[in-house]
Amino acid sequence: MSLTEKYPQEVKKILAKYPPEQKRSAVMPLLYLAQRQEGYATRAAMQDIADLLAITPTDVASIIGFYTLFHDEKEGRYRMQVCTDLPCALRGADQFLQELCTNLQVQVGQTSEDDLVTIEEVKCLAGCDKAPMFQLQGENGIEYHENMTVDKTLELIEALRKSGKEVK
Amino acid sequence: MPKQLVSLIIDGQSVSVPAGTLIVDAAKQVGIDIPVFCYHPKMEPVGMCRMCLVEVGRPVIDRVSGQPVIEGGKPKIQFGAKLETACTTPVSEDMQVVGMSEKARTGRKEIVEFLLTSHPLDCPVCDKGGECPLQNLTMAHGSSESRFKFDDKQHQKKHVPLGDLIWLDRERCIQCARCIRFQGEIVGDAVLDFFRRGRATDIVTYSEPGFDSIFSSNTTDICPVGALTTADFRFGARPWEMNSAASICTHCPVGCNTTLNIRREARSDGNMVIKRIMPRQNEQVNEIWLCDKGRFAHHFSASPDRLAKPLVRTGELVTESSWEEALNLAARSLVEAKQDFIVLAGGRLANEDLFNLKALADGLGGKAALYTHMGGGYLTTLAGVSMDTNFGEMGAGTSILVAASDLYNEAPLWYLRIKQAAARGATLILAGARETKLEKYAAHVIRYAYGDEAQTIKSMQKSKAGQAAAEALASAQNLVVLYGSDGLGLEGSASLAEACAGLLDMTGHAGKPGSGLIGVWPHANDQGAWEMGFQPVADLAAEFKNKLVYIAACDPVGDDPALAEALKSARFVIVQELFQTETTRLANVVLPAQAFTEREGSFTSGERRVQRFYPALPAFGETRPDFSITASLAQKAGLELEGTSALLIMNKIASKYKSFEGLSYARLAEVREQWPLVGRGDIYYGGAIYANTQGLGTRLALLEAGSLPGTKPVESKRPSESELLAIPVCKIYDRGVTVLPSTLLHPHIGDASVSLHPDTAVRFKVQAGSTAQLTVNGTAYQVKVLVDEKVPASVALLPRSMGIPINTPATISLKAA
Repeated sequence: MSLTEKYPQEVKKILAKYPPEQKRSAVMPLLYLAQRQEGYATRAAMQDIADLLAITPTDVASIIGFYTLFHDEKEGRYRMQVCTDLPCALRGADQFLQELCTNLQVQVGQTSEDDLVTIEEVKCLAGCDKAPMFQLQGENGIEYHENMTVDKTLELIEALRKSGKEVK
Repeated sequence: MPKQLVSLIIDGQSVSVPAGTLIVDAAKQVGIDIPVFCYHPKMEPVGMCRMCLVEVGRPVIDRVSGQPVIEGGKPKIQFGAKLETACTTPVSEDMQVVGMSEKARTGRKEIVEFLLTSHPLDCPVCDKGGECPLQNLTMAHGSSESRFKFDDKQHQKKHVPLGDLIWLDRERCIQCARCIRFQGEIVGDAVLDFFRRGRATDIVTYSEPGFDSIFSSNTTDICPVGALTTADFRFGARPWEMNSAASICTHCPVGCNTTLNIRREARSDGNMVIKRIMPRQNEQVNEIWLCDKGRFAHHFSASPDRLAKPLVRTGELVTESSWEEALNLAARSLVEAKQDFIVLAGGRLANEDLFNLKALADGLGGKAALYTHMGGGYLTTLAGVSMDTNFGEMGAGTSILVAASDLYNEAPLWYLRIKQAAARGATLILAGARETKLEKYAAHVIRYAYGDEAQTIKSMQKSKAGQAAAEALASAQNLVVLYGSDGLGLEGSASLAEACAGLLDMTGHAGKPGSGLIGVWPHANDQGAWEMGFQPVADLAAEFKNKLVYIAACDPVGDDPALAEALKSARFVIVQELFQTETTRLANVVLPAQAFTEREGSFTSGERRVQRFYPALPAFGETRPDFSITASLAQKAGLELEGTSALLIMNKIASKYKSFEGLSYARLAEVREQWPLVGRGDIYYGGAIYANTQGLGTRLALLEAGSLPGTKPVESKRPSESELLAIPVCKIYDRGVTVLPSTLLHPHIGDASVSLHPDTAVRFKVQAGSTAQLTVNGTAYQVKVLVDEKVPASVALLPRSMGIPINTPATISLKAA
């Protein structure tokens, strides 16, 4: 199913925001749309976007490659991006990340066995005073979770797992 | 209008250059080399690599008066606190540029050090080693030792196929984006781009198939490191082992200047072989580019099917013979035939060969014909372009009309240069029955039905789309009209040529410098044949009957098996060829000819530029040059022709044909300095392209046209409801005898195919991707069905030279196989 068939209203709305001669500017909102369900943009979706905007699939792929919040590979349904920059580390973010990984039995960059969550280590998220903190990228966009502990995070993951089952 | 000149000082030298010139180019013009990696004189600057850092000082301007502050009788110069990039900074009045100071030197040294932190330094096994800007500039500006820890080096994939013609070595790439920008800016196919950031940056392609561009190999010339290499030359030879010879590409009428790199090598049994073909700069023809067909389809000259010795037939038996025996037999038959003979010449022969063939036909009273499916060339000799046309300089004020031609497939470099002329402001008008790639850049598109070509041009004002186009044509200062044979045979294209010449006449552009008619010919030297008075014949079969047929450099039977019977009805057949072909198999005498790589000669391009090519390889077997074979044959038949030297034949051409007047080999070999400077010691600047030291060629003069002769309008075939009309089109990579021996291109050549509109496919019950049976002139062929919405209804596009004889539109039947 093409992107336009899947989200006809949204595609129309996004394209309407840009003048027709500069429609290539719509590439980023369309990419967010494309990766909403699966968590990444498929080759077919890149081609759809290229056709919609009269650019090449290589142009689209390059945008995905440049920005860290666009993905071209299937990972977990949620991406948990933990900041471990210096101020966060001073508040224990690096230890938090390690313990979280041990509990989930994954390494940084890996995905939990049930494909639910991928743990990533990122640079500054502008929440130094509320570390340990992370952002959660999923189908509902991006959410910040601040002043976290490992226990609270595991609870959150459990809740996500349940909500996923309910959806199914 | 010439731009205002700006004066500045670069490293103590005064320079005056037009306003807007970049510092790096201004320096280059006075022989100062400011090193660059990402900057390329043919592309917009980006300032990515930082190699061109210089100190820049500008006059201090008094804030109150707005005038420069004078100190000690001179303007006071203020230098910036930081170094600036010479490739992005335009010159300004009284600017002072310092590239030789300690500060600038240190800046460059540090940039080289940075670039090398990610570079593998595998020069000893790198194809670019020896002609590598990074290698050269490291020697000139880099540090003699590295402070970088070897274990911290990036290790990336070293053998990444971007497509099947170009390989990427990720470690070697320095992310200058020259390849990306070439594809985006110059070609208009943005099939390469960066992926990821920082040290993880990678060059990727997401096109299908990978790196889908017919100009892809040019990126290997301009790549300043060994990151991009061609599948053909990769690990083939070191640059310093090869010799070079100037040549001309023979694949299309553009006449791109090339350099053949040759080497004697053990793996080729100790023979001299062509290792690669490189573009040779000619800013009026191909600039510094070459299409992939021109670069990769060179293996035919070393094909195992090459003929080494003359062949003579006795009954059914064909035996190798001596030249003496073969020529005697051929000459005897020629004398016996009296005037009953026809010379059929192919468009890949050189001017000198064609001259001798024509002289033989004229001298002995026979007929000389050009083997082609495209007519109207006579008009290009009267209303063609002359001295002052150059696609590279066309812009506002020039209108370019392209009629019935898919330039991307038929003449790639014209596509490239016309696209850029349109970007500079030239008005591009496309008249075609189907959408072609160039249309994206056209100001006006005139769509017609196949069969209406000539009529469309003649009555352009009558349609709504045509009216605006007609106005643009009439009001243009210069008008260049290119016509081709997309969907046209001999008569149809002749009729279109007449309409196009009429248009030039009507708008007052005929015979004017800067304007003219260009034929997009199927072969490299068709123009030369037209200039010498060759004419095509409509019915070859009728011409062959009971005559002696002397065929040179063409394969009519291979192109159309129906001609086999006709050739059998000839009284005697002499064939002069490079290879065994279907035609040579029916010959009484076969005379083996030298390839253009083994001899000297000249071609006339579609733009009427005569250009010389030089011998690169020793002659194969006992082969001789075509002009010499013809002269020997003529001599034995009692006619003296020049056969010892191509140079002397050119002198004869110059004295016989008015348009060639004043031409000589010396004049064709003249060169003058071209901009940008390329191919010398400073390959960092323009790329590994060769400089032109062997001749830029000369344009033919325009003849006194008077009134242009008209041709009879012809009734073209039109598709009717019940039948399917096959339309011959051109495909860049076809099964032509000079393309097929290059196995590298086979994935691009593919099988014989037919393209249909989806509705037509449904009507004939054939599916996309399936094999169908196509019957043309009573013979059935298996073809692959391609479905494309851009194909007009009720026609089937059938590429020429793909194994199915189709020269002119023909009714066919099609059914699922």
